[in-house]
Amino acid sequence: MAEEGASKAGIVPSDRTAIGIMFSNSNSSIAYTVDDKAEVIANEDGDRQIPTILSYMDGDEYYGQQAKNFLVRNPKNTVAYFREFLGKDFKSIDPTHNHASAHPEEANGTVSFTITDKEGEDAAPSTLSVQEIATRYLRRLVTSASEYIGKKVTSAVITVPTNFNEKQKAALIAAAAGAELEVLQLVPEPVAALLAYDARPEVEVSDRMVVVADLGGTRSDVAVISTRSGMYTVLATTHDYEFTGTALDKVLMDHFAKEFMKRNAGIDPRQNPKSLAKLKLEAESTKKALSIGANASFSVESLAEGIDFASTLNRLRYETIARPVFAGINRLVESVVKKAGLDILDIDEVILSGGTAHTPRIAANMQSIFPRTTAILAPSTTPTAINPSELQARGAALQASLIQEYEAEDIDQSTHAAVTTVPHIANAIGVVLVSESAETFIPIVPGETAVPARRMVHVKTPKDGGDVLVKIVEANTHIKVTKPEPKAKTNGKASKSATVEDADETEDEDDSDLSDDEEEEDEEKRERMWKIGTTLAEAALRGVKKGSTVEVTINVNADLSMTMTTREVGAKGGVRVNVPAP
Amino acid sequence: MASAKTTELVLPSLPEGWSAEKDFKVLDKISSTIQRTIEPVGPHFLAHARRARHKRTFSEDDR
Ligand SMILES: Nc1ncnc2c1ncn2[C@@H]1O[C@H](COP(=O)(O)OP(=O)(O)OP(=O)(O)O)[C@@H](O)[C@H]1O
Ligand SMILES: [Mg+2]
Repeated sequence: MAEEGASKAGIVPSDRTAIGIMFSNSNSSIAYTVDDKAEVIANEDGDRQIPTILSYMDGDEYYGQQAKNFLVRNPKNTVAYFREFLGKDFKSIDPTHNHASAHPEEANGTVSFTITDKEGEDAAPSTLSVQEIATRYLRRLVTSASEYIGKKVTSAVITVPTNFNEKQKAALIAAAAGAELEVLQLVPEPVAALLAYDARPEVEVSDRMVVVADLGGTRSDVAVISTRSGMYTVLATTHDYEFTGTALDKVLMDHFAKEFMKRNAGIDPRQNPKSLAKLKLEAESTKKALSIGANASFSVESLAEGIDFASTLNRLRYETIARPVFAGINRLVESVVKKAGLDILDIDEVILSGGTAHTPRIAANMQSIFPRTTAILAPSTTPTAINPSELQARGAALQASLIQEYEAEDIDQSTHAAVTTVPHIANAIGVVLVSESAETFIPIVPGETAVPARRMVHVKTPKDGGDVLVKIVEANTHIKVTKPEPKAKTNGKASKSATVEDADETEDEDDSDLSDDEEEEDEEKRERMWKIGTTLAEAALRGVKKGSTVEVTINVNADLSMTMTTREVGAKGGVRVNVPAP
Repeated sequence: MASAKTTELVLPSLPEGWSAEKDFKVLDKISSTIQRTIEPVGPHFLAHARRARHKRTFSEDDR
């Protein structure tokens, strides 16, 4: 934990210029906060998503998109997909993604790459540790940011996967130090994405259960985060290296390779490294184009054996051939919700983050997995969605601006486990209301809230006022499943057009305003219901005026004692109850 | 899910015969908690850390 806030360089706060960095396997981004607004910085090539690639040609160093283009002409001196190897033993790495660029090897007990980074035909190759590669790459990012800001960037908040271990974090901090960059804090990627959304000025702080699906190039990471008054607790995570952006590239590469073979007497462009590299680059741009348009072209000059190739693909066909990857992403999301001990119905919001999150099919799938009330934050489903490729860098930049004026020591203290590891209440605490004698639970402090916590609600009183009971209880939820009435001839999964009956016998009260369309008629109905548990306290408010509102405030203290205060809004007095610590 | 704004829902009238000294009863304690780690990120966490460091409550912090 200590490393999280570590800033070994110990720069005086007033001398800092701090940015946010997303440093990932496929791409990196840099962001800067001006007037509480984070902006992702375009580098000198005009890129905001900067490929995490370093390449050497005649002694010159290239990074980003220019280095990526060298994957075709100069793969041996191009280092790609290396972030993942920081702080890892050579034996434990998966070099799958390095086949078409410099290969990782073991040297001096660390993952290394041998490349020719100096000028001249017979220049001796250098063997560089992954940490040195990361240092060189980060230096380029920092230079780019410094040029944009007009001041030397000294410090950064950097995002890391939730499963980055202490050794990996230490290696990243050391790599940054090599680039004269002070790491103010390492922030988990999904938390940075959430922060970017929560920082929008129009957002009101609220209690929500959020899924952040970070869908990148070589990995897909999904997290369930309980958001309570703007504080975040990660409840469960899952990590996957199969259902990813590169897997989607592969689907397209295979598709176009086969098409090429059909037209060209079975010549397979996947058999030749250079052709394969061209195929991959173009497949990725076709994929990106299919996130926007219904059709996209694929066109490569001299794809294989000097033969040019051009073709098109429509989105529907793409979604069909890529279905196994999309289905895998769906399963990941469903599995992490389960792992958190939650149901799909418990999720209020799904944030789609990472480059692959631009894919409309993925967002549409989330809409069908989650109930209609769940907000799906992705470009194709929410017009105000933030660019999913920018979320992490923005979140990191916001955090950097929040903490840059603190001494390194203070940051360390605040991020220490003694401050961050605290009890969370398991059950919701709330008040019992009635409508026609049926009891309903209204949560005030939801479950999975860290203590201390304070929440307040306003509730209505009976028509004629009088003496009322404020009953504070614990409650939790369960899922109520209502099986459809068996209907003759209908076999459960009947086609939508065949369902004409509308005899919804039990469907009365709880139709809020979303008039159900026929879609789910034949499926069982699943609802999230409160189950009231123990009563913690009761209080009487006497002589409440007609039509008045009552305020109920709950304070759960750090020692888990609880204070409830209640009063009629606008009236004097009220009742205060102290529930002692367990 | 129901929210506190739902109009038909009201506080129950005080049941007949309900009485308590000072008009309140304490019946039970918070039953179950889990130790978890909050992320040291965002403005609300900073406020939390500040309260924790200075051992201040919410209302002391408000002042
Ligand atoms: N508009 C788009 N539509 C579909 N896919 C896209 C789009 N933009 C980027 N991608 C894909 O997103 C992936 C990169 O995502 P991101 O930039 O989040 O990567 P990363 O976090 O560096 O990846 P990694 O998982 O390798 O660490 C690539 O596979 C890229 O092709
Ligand atoms: Mg990523």
